Amino acid sequence: MTIATTDGQAGGALERSGSSSGLADVVETVLDKGVVIDAQVSVAVVGIQLLEINARVVVASVETYLRFAQAVDRLSITPRDQKGLPDLVEGATGAVTAGKAASGVGKTVGAIGGAVRDAVGELGSDRDRDRPRRRRRDEERTDE
Amino acid sequence: MSEERGLFIYGIVPSDVEPTPDASGVGDPPGEVTVVRHGRVAALVSEVPLETALGRPADLTAYQELLDGTAAVAPVLPVRFGTVVTGPDAVADLLDAHGDRFASALDELEGHVQYVVHGRYEESALIQSVLDDNTAAADLADQVRGQPEETTREQRIRLGEIISQAVELRREAENRDLLDTLGPLATSALARPPSNELDAVNAAFLVEADREDDFVDALEEFAEQRRGLIHMRLLGPLAPYDFVSAHQLAG
Repeated sequence: MTIATTDGQAGGALERSGSSSGLADVVETVLDKGVVIDAQVSVAVVGIQLLEINARVVVASVETYLRFAQAVDRLSITPRDQKGLPDLVEGATGAVTAGKAASGVGKTVGAIGGAVRDAVGELGSDRDRDRPRRRRRDEERTDE
Repeated sequence: MSEERGLFIYGIVPSDVEPTPDASGVGDPPGEVTVVRHGRVAALVSEVPLETALGRPADLTAYQELLDGTAAVAPVLPVRFGTVVTGPDAVADLLDAHGDRFASALDELEGHVQYVVHGRYEESALIQSVLDDNTAAADLADQVRGQPEETTREQRIRLGEIISQAVELRREAENRDLLDTLGPLATSALARPPSNELDAVNAAFLVEADREDDFVDALEEFAEQRRGLIHMRLLGPLAPYDFVSAHQLAG
């Protein structure tokens, strides 16, 4: 997945994005995180239906091993003393990533039933939603 | 009964936070984000119909953007995605029962944001480097190169296994280095599990606002030292998703 660089420091080794920049990042960032409020805490919690979302889990397998071996095949055109060709690497990495997502072990996140959704693919594109603002920030300062 | 609605809770904030009028939430059409206040704390909420399943990409993105946007201006405790209660009274009850804990957690988070550092190996550079370091792997590579997969399956599996184990060891070392380098510049730091077999580093950091520049500078140097081998990304500033577990209300 290609990710837009928002800070655009040309030539920098670090790619920055203000918030998560793809659905895979969003899934990894927010799912299964946060304060848990369940029916034991408050009886007013409603069981709402959540779509199942596949988060990727890394499990080394024969498939993984064979894929690494294929990557060795792709290296064979490169003399041994030469480091990889950075421009070509991007494509190879992308292919492996996509394959992994499709065959990834499905980790069910959320609650009940619903369509299974691939972790990679669509992405909400409207990034400029408005956000809450704060009225009196200084009053909340602590001396930590 | 298609009218039944609940309140989706995004996060807990200090009671002086207010959403901008056009802040939009989960659902289709997106719900209007409002605030339920109780004493020092408040909850960011929006109405959702109970019969529709949530979790579309747009829902997750809306949830994250609202929380990240909030974290940029005020401390926020993310509430787990999918938490829905019956209505404003239920939110007020929740804030009443746990207000003190929420308030002290928010005090601790004041002035902090989360960053996620994610690095992925460039595959050919990584594999070349493993072959350079490991003669057994290099020998196997010579045996399988250019040969059909069916006749070299055994060697391929052994080769792939050696590479996979080497990647795991390197990943552990890289994560240690990353935490050693950036940990001192953060209030809290924790390693996250890899999300891809080519993951090199994956960690979350809770960073104080006035140390963000130092943090990013140090990370840029870390990334520079690994240029060509690891593709480093910095996500953030984010809401502190990985740093609220101590405040969970389980049980």
